Amino acid sequence: MASRHLATLTLALGLGCVSAVPAALAQQTSSDPAPADPAAGQSTLPPVPADGDGERPAVAPGAAPGAANEGGAETAGIGTDRSQPQATQAVGDDWPYYGGGPKAQRYSPLDQINTGNVGNLERAFVYRTGDMPSERAKGKYAWEGTPLKVGRSLYMCSAENILISVDATTGKENWRYDPKVSDDAIPYSASCRGVAYYVNPQAGDDAACKTRIIEGTLDARLIAVDAKTGEPCEDFGDNGAVSLWDGIGNKVPGWYAVTAPPAIVRGVIVTGAQVKDGEAEDAPSGVIRGYDAVTGKLAWAWDLANPELTGEPADGQTYTRGTPNMWTAPVGDEKLGLVYLPLGNSSVDYYGGNRSDAENEWATSLVALDVTTGKPAWHFQTVHYDLWDYDLGSQLTLVDFPTDKGKVPAVILPSKQGDLYILDRRTGESLFPVKSVDAPKGGVEPENLSPTQPTSAYHTLRKKRLTEKDMWGATPLDQLWCRIEFRRANYDGFFTPPSADKPWIQYPGYNGGSDWGSVSVDPKNGILIANYNDIPNYNRLIARKKADEMGLKPINERAKEDNGSIPAKAEGAGDPQAGAPYAIDVNAGWRSSLTGMPCTEPPYGGIRAIDLATGETLWDEPLGEALRNGPFGIASRLPLTIGTPNNGGPLTTAGGLVFVAAATDDLIRAIDVKTGEVVWQDQLPAGGQATPMTYEVDGRQYLAISAGGHHFMETPVGDYLVVYALPQNAN
Amino acid sequence: MTTATYSSHAHEHERSAHGIGYWLTMALAVVLLAFGLAIFAGGVWLISLGGSYYYAIAGVGLLLTAYFLFRASMAAFSVYLVTWLGTLAWAFWEVGFDWWAQLPRLLAPTIVLLLVAATIPVLKRAEND
Repeated sequence: MASRHLATLTLALGLGCVSAVPAALAQQTSSDPAPADPAAGQSTLPPVPADGDGERPAVAPGAAPGAANEGGAETAGIGTDRSQPQATQAVGDDWPYYGGGPKAQRYSPLDQINTGNVGNLERAFVYRTGDMPSERAKGKYAWEGTPLKVGRSLYMCSAENILISVDATTGKENWRYDPKVSDDAIPYSASCRGVAYYVNPQAGDDAACKTRIIEGTLDARLIAVDAKTGEPCEDFGDNGAVSLWDGIGNKVPGWYAVTAPPAIVRGVIVTGAQVKDGEAEDAPSGVIRGYDAVTGKLAWAWDLANPELTGEPADGQTYTRGTPNMWTAPVGDEKLGLVYLPLGNSSVDYYGGNRSDAENEWATSLVALDVTTGKPAWHFQTVHYDLWDYDLGSQLTLVDFPTDKGKVPAVILPSKQGDLYILDRRTGESLFPVKSVDAPKGGVEPENLSPTQPTSAYHTLRKKRLTEKDMWGATPLDQLWCRIEFRRANYDGFFTPPSADKPWIQYPGYNGGSDWGSVSVDPKNGILIANYNDIPNYNRLIARKKADEMGLKPINERAKEDNGSIPAKAEGAGDPQAGAPYAIDVNAGWRSSLTGMPCTEPPYGGIRAIDLATGETLWDEPLGEALRNGPFGIASRLPLTIGTPNNGGPLTTAGGLVFVAAATDDLIRAIDVKTGEVVWQDQLPAGGQATPMTYEVDGRQYLAISAGGHHFMETPVGDYLVVYALPQNAN
Repeated sequence: MTTATYSSHAHEHERSAHGIGYWLTMALAVVLLAFGLAIFAGGVWLISLGGSYYYAIAGVGLLLTAYFLFRASMAAFSVYLVTWLGTLAWAFWEVGFDWWAQLPRLLAPTIVLLLVAATIPVLKRAEND
């Protein structure tokens, strides 16, 4: 992820009115129209019913599902039957899933708060989790949480995984459960993006853990507690906890951690984990596992390099190490029985010479896995031979995509390169052409590079290639220095391969395009909303000998005490990549060594509305003010929209509004979905690097955002959940 | 100002000619000399890498301005005005009305223009001496 430090000095000179940055139009890759990328969209899925997949009717928590449950032949113990879809909960009064509804559209049909009255929003309450970094964890916090809301309660996890339920109208705490996660479990950041809510269809209404809250923790456990009481579910694993370290290998805290909510599809909890980037090729496996949501028993495992192994590995064995992992949130389709897994890259990111064929086949792919068997149905690779840490970071969004032949059940796949793909979610086939562009050559392993790379003909958020005149600074002197850096680096455009003789420019950088915030869809108006980053990284491979001299060691060889005291740094800024012939140094956001300001000109992030049916841009605006940025880390306090790096997704509502924080200005804002105009904003008490959500109780609509800050985005850390509503007497 | 008066600092004109304005002018000359050297040297490096010619040329403008400021010569303002106008033309040729992009190109040079302009009374007085 990337960074910022924008800058501005304009103060005295009235350098003319600083206008909004002209909206950059979608840049279409200008290569020849090429046939669909052959390696993309391979499908092995048997035919499935092709009828519509509209939001299934909501079933109140506790209601029996329509599906028969007698079967369960495949399932261990009293586990649930995976052969039939289970009931889903609708988004509206409730926000029952991390992404809103079962389709993860980050859209709410609520419209009490709308373009006409949003200016009247006021704080209903502010809840504090109390989870702030200890001395040891300072500089490593990035909460990123989005609560769920079911009934009258909000459910959330704090940065270090304390499960909490509060009254959704007052913020009064109902219960909390602290799984006691140690600071040394923090991988890159202490993040807990959310939890999952599950209704056990087999349990009686009054049974303990009939409804349960499930999370994955930084120290790699699945935790299940009763949604009513916060008590651990005794029937789940070992008194409410399942260890994810089983089959992974030596337990090295901080190397293998869960930061995203699992998907629960047909009663199976599906999770991957973050494997801390850049440490070693011999790293924890990227295995994807399904666990019974009632019993916590392993339902299946999918080890992409060892597909025969579907259970636990034999004693002393592990799942295949160093394989591509999934650190972000999956989403499922109950009806199809598929779960959509956005995979990241192999370990390590910037050298691929030792990767297996299986890794090259699956890395940085969207994989649709059959939850009944744990076997892949199809996959779609967005980068061939990824040497850029272009992990798929966005949760997928399910849509009924409008086409000439009627609505097609589809997924929206955002990528860090900025390409948005629309795929038939039954087969993985792209509904729009996938172009194949010639990729740059060179670097340290030219023989291994993919000669071509896919891009999407539907839409890309990526801007045009950098030139020397895009270099920036506060003065001509630092701008000149950035121009020299530009000319000294290897840069042959998008997908320039890693090099050691000179630095190379990676653009877009590893923060996207789209990162974990994903996109939002307004199905009513057919609009796709995407906020995005527009920042290069300035990278260089470091030969092993030099890396050794620098003392770069992987996490398992560093002393435990060191891990606690090593200050958090940008991901990749001096990572050992043990096992590869090169370590890596990433200058995330390409910050000038003179001033700390970015070497490229703003905007560094924006938000765009796209016509869902055609992929055409409706509006595109820079996102974020220059308030907190300036040279040498000095806040400029300029209330000018510059377009900052941003992390966190958008929320769109039937009130005609997009709510988004994400930028480095600590503001939450409402944007008119039709025009892109900011119609309301409020200062948060800490960085708003999270996706907002909305819900309704007793006829009153609320808007909630966590203000947890983000060490890497350099925003203030906090433990606030800030909740807004319209004044009660004004409705 | 003549070479004679310039070289006779230590004599009776010193008190009137070398007041605070004079020393601020000299200080500005030192600053412009430093920036001029850095921008000229970096500009030559950039040209050698295949980049823009602007910086080396602007560096020369700054160095000449510094030189004439040291001489307390009105030519300092004329030379810098030309440098600034050239900068203005180049900056708009490169990025037009993109004001964020103009920030590094025009802000500091315009501040320098105002500072050099502010030395005009000192330069005039020196020339009249």
